[in-house]
Amino acid sequence: MASDEVILETIDLDKSFGAVHAVRSVSWKVFQGRVNALVGDNGAGKSTLIKLISGALQPNGGGFRVRGQETRIGGPAGAFGLGIAAVYQDLALVENRDVVMNMFLGSELTRGPGAIFLDHKGMLQQAHQVLDDIHARIPNVREMVRNLSGGQRQAVAVGRALIRGGEIIIMDEPTAALGVEQTQEVLQLIDTLREQGKTIILISHNIQQVFEIADYISVMFHGELLGTRTRDDATEADVVAMIMGKRSP
Amino acid sequence: MIGRLTQGDLGIKVRRREQILFLMDNGIYVVTVLLFIGFVFLAPYFFTTRNLVNILISASLAGIVTAGYTVAILAGQIDTSTQGVLAVATVTTALLFEEAGFSLPLTVVFALLAGIAAGLFNGLIVVNGKIVAFVATLATQGVMLAVALFLSGGQTITIAREGLQEAVFVRVFGIPSSVWIMFLCYILGWVMLTQTKLGAHIYATGADYRAALLSGVPVDRVIRVALVISALAAALTAVLVTARAKQSAMFGLAIAGSVDFVTALTAVLLGGFSLFGGVGRIERNLVAVLFLTILGNGLQLMDVATGVILIVRGFALVFAVILSVLRARMT
Repeated sequence: MASDEVILETIDLDKSFGAVHAVRSVSWKVFQGRVNALVGDNGAGKSTLIKLISGALQPNGGGFRVRGQETRIGGPAGAFGLGIAAVYQDLALVENRDVVMNMFLGSELTRGPGAIFLDHKGMLQQAHQVLDDIHARIPNVREMVRNLSGGQRQAVAVGRALIRGGEIIIMDEPTAALGVEQTQEVLQLIDTLREQGKTIILISHNIQQVFEIADYISVMFHGELLGTRTRDDATEADVVAMIMGKRSP
Repeated sequence: MIGRLTQGDLGIKVRRREQILFLMDNGIYVVTVLLFIGFVFLAPYFFTTRNLVNILISASLAGIVTAGYTVAILAGQIDTSTQGVLAVATVTTALLFEEAGFSLPLTVVFALLAGIAAGLFNGLIVVNGKIVAFVATLATQGVMLAVALFLSGGQTITIAREGLQEAVFVRVFGIPSSVWIMFLCYILGWVMLTQTKLGAHIYATGADYRAALLSGVPVDRVIRVALVISALAAALTAVLVTARAKQSAMFGLAIAGSVDFVTALTAVLLGGFSLFGGVGRIERNLVAVLFLTILGNGLQLMDVATGVILIVRGFALVFAVILSVLRARMT
């Protein structure tokens, strides 16, 4: 673990909404090829922090270092360019479109003059390949997303992130709305992604789950980053205490 | 494994729902064929070449408007300004061709430009003003009707000059040019919606604005383009209507009785489109327009009073809205 490389780093990141100081001078290291969990109580600033990283929000102060280079993340498109892709809690899938069109939404493969025509065949093939790679078994990629199970939807959303060239994949409460069996499917999916060398940022409420899957556990409290532990160094009791605002033991 | 639980089948409930949706979506084909066969037996002169060509001509005008309208509604925008665009474009056509002495092609170009301008105006209010299209276009329609009234001096402009009507009366393989133009519009519409990136973005924007936005779809531009296409189709119809009648249509209404927002909306909803956008196939709309045209034509031939025909058409819209809402609840 000590030899893990930092792929993404926030430097004194700051974000306020009016009088609410949601993220306070957060310097956080995200390790390459690992599952980096971010935990904290409601309103601790987790969502704001990942929105800053995914380009959905712009910081009031501070910056980012990605693969050692200082950079700014201008918007979702800028984040994609850096290989950062967010899987939102509601997944942002279009219910009335099929799996393939959802996976390529906003980054469709095209052909022909001016690249205006869709490359349906190419998208179909690549969708199959990406879903196979993450061991997602979706019987028919022409199925409407509205007919998929929670686990399958998560796979589609992750597939979309991978198609976007996602190397750092942010997953926001991926199991919050799922039952036991589907939760296991998603945890397996996260494991598969890690095996393939992807970096995962995992936001979760579920401490047990975090201990089951994460390599690093970082805790936020009232907008501040209280600390990061490796899973093996931390106990559930420590982490729970930190979530309640107790600084390092 | 992901999807292990549901692999192979999606569950009986989901399958049944998909079957019902399929019937709701494709019922229009069956109903139209049945209606057609019914009138062959019930309505005198219905099944004559002359009448069938008449049906096609009348369907072509409503059909072109509806094709454009389809694009707007797919993008989630209920465009109610059709009448206004028709009015501006019909007056533009008549003024330029009759009074300014423009050539036919130039007249058409400027009438279409007027349509594009109207669509951009709609886009400005909807996108920049962040106002729901249904309300925004109701307001812009008022402006357009007033502009048309002002330009025409409140008069119907009669076209005495030759060349305009003759052009739309030209028949190719026995079918009038306006019908060919309609088919062309649907082919272009189908290609654009199913085979291009723009089409994919139009569907996605209408189906889920937020998801499309987060996925990097340029949603505002998509909405602008959809509104321009809708207005452009209305302007094209206006040229044809004006040419056929050899006069400008007051308020875009006088001659084009069946070419209006309500007909287009009825056709779109009967065709299985969602009022809320993102769902539907343009080819079904062509059939829905034929259905409405055949309905009006057949009843007329059976000597049914005009008032009754209007009531029937009114109920068609009511039924279509119910269908659309039922559909939306199921998905």
